[in-house]
Amino acid sequence: MLRRLIDQAEESVISLLLVAMTLLVFYEVILRFGFGTGLSWGQEATLHLSAWFVLFGASYGIKVGAHIGVDAFVRLLPPLGQRLISALAILLSLVYCGLFLYGSWVYLAKMHLIGIELEDIPIPAWLAHGILLVGFALLSLRLLGLLYRVARGSATGFQKAGEAEQSLRLADELKRDEVGSNAERAS
Amino acid sequence: MTTAALFLLLFGCMLLGMPIAIALGFSSIVTILLFSDDSLASIALKLFEALSAHYTLLAIPFFILSSQFLSTGGVAKRLIRFAVGAVGHIKGGLAMASVLACMLFAAVSGSSPATVAAIGTIVIAGMVKSGYPKAFASGVITNAGTLGILIPPSIVMLVYSAATEVSAAKMFMAGFIPGLMMGGLLMVAIYIVARIKRLPAQPWPGFREVGAAAFSASGGILLIVIVLGSIYGGVASPTEAAAVSAVYAFLVAVVGYRDMGPLKETPWRRAGERIGALLLRHTWQVPLAIAQSVVHPEVRKTVLDASKVSIMLLFIIANAMLFAHVLTTERIPHQIAETIVSHGLEPWMFLIVMNLLLLAAGNFMEPSAILLIMAPILFPIATQLGIDPIHLGIIMVVNMEIGMLTPPVGLNLFVTAGITGESIGWVIKAVLPWMLLLLLFLMLITYIPSISLFLPDYLDRLQGYG
Amino acid sequence: DEPTVIKFSHVVAENTPKGLMAQRFQELVAEKTDAEIEVEVYPNSQLFGDDKVLEAMLLGDVQMAAPALSKFSRYTDVLALYDLPFLFEDLDAVDRFQQSEEGQAMLNAVADKGLIGLGYLHNGMKQLSASKPLRVPEDAEGLKFRIMSSDVLEAQFEVLNAAPLKKPFSEVFTLLQTKAIDGQENTWSNIYSKKFFEVQPYITESNHGLLDYMVVTSKEFWSRLTDEQRTEVKAALDEALAYGNQIARDKAIEDKEKIAESGRTEIIELTPEQRAQWVEAMRPVWRQFEDDIGAERIEAAYRSNDD
Ligand code: NA
Ligand code: NA
Repeated sequence: MLRRLIDQAEESVISLLLVAMTLLVFYEVILRFGFGTGLSWGQEATLHLSAWFVLFGASYGIKVGAHIGVDAFVRLLPPLGQRLISALAILLSLVYCGLFLYGSWVYLAKMHLIGIELEDIPIPAWLAHGILLVGFALLSLRLLGLLYRVARGSATGFQKAGEAEQSLRLADELKRDEVGSNAERAS
Repeated sequence: MTTAALFLLLFGCMLLGMPIAIALGFSSIVTILLFSDDSLASIALKLFEALSAHYTLLAIPFFILSSQFLSTGGVAKRLIRFAVGAVGHIKGGLAMASVLACMLFAAVSGSSPATVAAIGTIVIAGMVKSGYPKAFASGVITNAGTLGILIPPSIVMLVYSAATEVSAAKMFMAGFIPGLMMGGLLMVAIYIVARIKRLPAQPWPGFREVGAAAFSASGGILLIVIVLGSIYGGVASPTEAAAVSAVYAFLVAVVGYRDMGPLKETPWRRAGERIGALLLRHTWQVPLAIAQSVVHPEVRKTVLDASKVSIMLLFIIANAMLFAHVLTTERIPHQIAETIVSHGLEPWMFLIVMNLLLLAAGNFMEPSAILLIMAPILFPIATQLGIDPIHLGIIMVVNMEIGMLTPPVGLNLFVTAGITGESIGWVIKAVLPWMLLLLLFLMLITYIPSISLFLPDYLDRLQGYG
Repeated sequence: DEPTVIKFSHVVAENTPKGLMAQRFQELVAEKTDAEIEVEVYPNSQLFGDDKVLEAMLLGDVQMAAPALSKFSRYTDVLALYDLPFLFEDLDAVDRFQQSEEGQAMLNAVADKGLIGLGYLHNGMKQLSASKPLRVPEDAEGLKFRIMSSDVLEAQFEVLNAAPLKKPFSEVFTLLQTKAIDGQENTWSNIYSKKFFEVQPYITESNHGLLDYMVVTSKEFWSRLTDEQRTEVKAALDEALAYGNQIARDKAIEDKEKIAESGRTEIIELTPEQRAQWVEAMRPVWRQFEDDIGAERIEAAYRSNDD
């Protein structure tokens, strides 16, 4: 129950960030083309929304297996081998997160100390860039969860659902509403 | 030494099956730690800069969103109906119509596998029913589907622009003629095969049906008019055009076509409804539906799917920028460029080497990742040899198209195997003859720069001197 | 002994006044310190863009940079002085002010944020370009102008009833070409090198503003050098800046001529009466920022026109 709520909240935040970015840029086009004016904070806001979108969403990508990789070689191994290699890959990914967490901490602490704001929006820089910490912390958590599942054997790796698989879902949808109706009409 | 470490780490991590984004970031950060005195804090800063300082990159999520709204079965069916009506009556017409449908779909979608899936699912079965060999049908579609990244809008072109700071608007324009040309080339080949093999033609459906089909397809086809028109008509930059096209695609999908969302079961005109009543009904129904979309499961899923793909791509791009940062601070591309230039390598030789390199990479990696790793290396060399950056970009895109057809990592192969239920080996055999055509096309693109450059140059002259 | 390294990061090409200044600085430092200090120049935003380079400097990863003065708005209000329209009549007046006590004191405006200004570098005086001729302030009414991110520049176009739009430098050409925006303000050398003159039929020689850079280093790095080293580095920089400033002046004249010769655009010279109208129209901007910048400072800068 709580888990579903968290999932839904996470998905809503991600979607909202994308929609907000899109509409903000759209609104700026309307303002400029229709009214000959613009938003002085529009560009900075959009760029920061996009950084938040990616950093917040990166961990969600691990959860749903959206991050693509080259798994052609891992798949040649037997299941146990796959799990061992994946565990190593996850551990190295955790190192990556750890390095970024440390770096982000030092960076944000410095921004906090100096106390500068963004250029066009009056909010502190450390706050606007704080998503670095949030993002990499969430990514670490998701990687730990994945490591646990790989150790237990309920997952073999990053579970990539690439562009090809996604396109196939579209194909399934089309097949379901009867194949070839167009060809029939044409013949 | 640094170069070796960087690439060994990258390939090592990729072999382990690590997500490409993390493999790029990890190899960069470790190389920096080992060989330079940059602090981790500045690397975090650099990553944030990569994510928040490139306005052009925002076109990627916006185009993915618009593509997601229009990459539906409904849109594909309308485009196919129009294509069959327009060229189906020629010998081999259904196959030519399928290519045309792929070209039209490519103009609303930025992705090649999506093009194969959307068009292939319907037309391969249809062609088989009409008496075409299944391998013929599958081969044509798998090839024509690669047009998704050559005919604008194209995600791969945006990635190239991001990696090289070449104008995305110009890349889009440059892809237009090569896209039409490749589609035409495929159709001519089909016509020749159809003559020899006596493949069937469809009956002419009459102007009424073609007109009706064109009208029904126009909602989708108009997208490319909006994208290119708004960039070249002076309304918007590529990023802004992408945002406009995303909003447009939403409106077409939810209000116009009603393929998804709250109006899905509501017809434009009820039986016997008068125009006045219809207009009145829509004045409240349409705004209400737009508001309801916020909570509608289908619309939300479309946005979420677009988010997933966008996040994955943008996270790769940000990490690839760290990678490029290491490459440039170590002056690796410059060194390679200087070596090549000092050995007197001619541009045409370089282009051959580059094509071979990219085709080889295309066997193993996904197009965006290849571009992000290779463009920073190849771009400075090409510039030194006097190769036009736009032309270089189109060559790279065509190489990426071929990469989608080559095993083991060939996204279009997977999709065709999935929709036909055949093995990958069977699909490869079906694709091969058509892929040779694509290789010929690559030679044309490589050695005749004006195919790519004519349109952008022409428009420059039109606007610059006007 | 390992030499002390100064990473000098900038965002422009090597053959620009800033790029050439940085290279000269590199040579001079090597000469003067007997290679005790080594300058590494990173052009073309290879290390960091202008928005992030100061943050990287505060983290200790870059030791020197020369961002445009408008880029310091996050660190101090005072340097906005240099953005005020029609404050300086020409580069000579700018030089007089920058070398004055007041001008030199402003190098320390960012000291409380951990940065030290070491000197000023010119790009040049800004001109207005547009899709229609701008002769009097009313001509700009309703037009859309691209600006760098700066409150003063925003106000400057707002008082003209024009629309200021913040757009990245890299997109300006396309936006001008497709007429998505109507005009922009820049120096002769930028208008020439970025080919803006090819897509803007009119350039008004307004000399209305200044595009200058400030060479900065971090307090932390500066205090790590010995007194002797600081003196040598400063001397090398002063010499390099004089060299760079001369190039900037020459380039402005040269590039203006090339633009005129191209025949692609019409260069509009303002009559004294027309110019007076522009000054009159934009003067209210001064009052708007008087409290932030300091009235005496503005007064002192304005007086530098007299000599
Ligand atoms: Na496309
Ligand atoms: Na491939």
